[in-house]
Amino acid sequence: MMVDAPVAEPSDHQAKSEGMAMAIGVAGWLLPGLGHALQKMWGRAIACFLTVGVLVIIGAGMRGNLFTADGGDAFAALGYVADLGTGSFYVLARSLEADGPDVSRAAGDYGTRFLAAAGVLNLLAALHAYEAARGRKA
Amino acid sequence: MTLHFSHFQSMLLFALAISVAFGFLSRRPALERLKYVGWSLLMFLLIGVGIGWVMYPFSR
Repeated sequence: MMVDAPVAEPSDHQAKSEGMAMAIGVAGWLLPGLGHALQKMWGRAIACFLTVGVLVIIGAGMRGNLFTADGGDAFAALGYVADLGTGSFYVLARSLEADGPDVSRAAGDYGTRFLAAAGVLNLLAALHAYEAARGRKA
Repeated sequence: MTLHFSHFQSMLLFALAISVAFGFLSRRPALERLKYVGWSLLMFLLIGVGIGWVMYPFSR
């Protein structure tokens, strides 16, 4: 005869800490480094803020392509997701690119990669902050 | 605002930013971070220049 083992219900405390970890991850995405700053990981917070910020400023300064929601194809959609990864810095990049992108030169193409890399890097940092808040990483 | 960098300067800036971020996210003691950043930066540059030379015969 088989007896089902009792399934442990997540405690209220666990649910709260999971919610807090999620909030920290979202904060880290919205403002690069904020997720780590909320956990007093100052070195990582400053490093994330500066590296993502520098990549965005250089990428926009080189007139890289900052994708929008109405890109038209799958690559543009992927690029949009990557660019959105920079959180609030997406708005900064858009404001810096007053003349729009110029990918007719190699510099503009490089700028596109800088912007996408900044977004993916920030998503990685936000995921790291989320995992640290859950106690999985230090 | 338009920035002008050479190909190598662009690669150097990109490699430096990514190496610093990876070093701070993946290592904790300061010395370990510094070692990781230096090693990662060196590998970025060596592999980047190496791939450039591998592609050189096909460039014309």
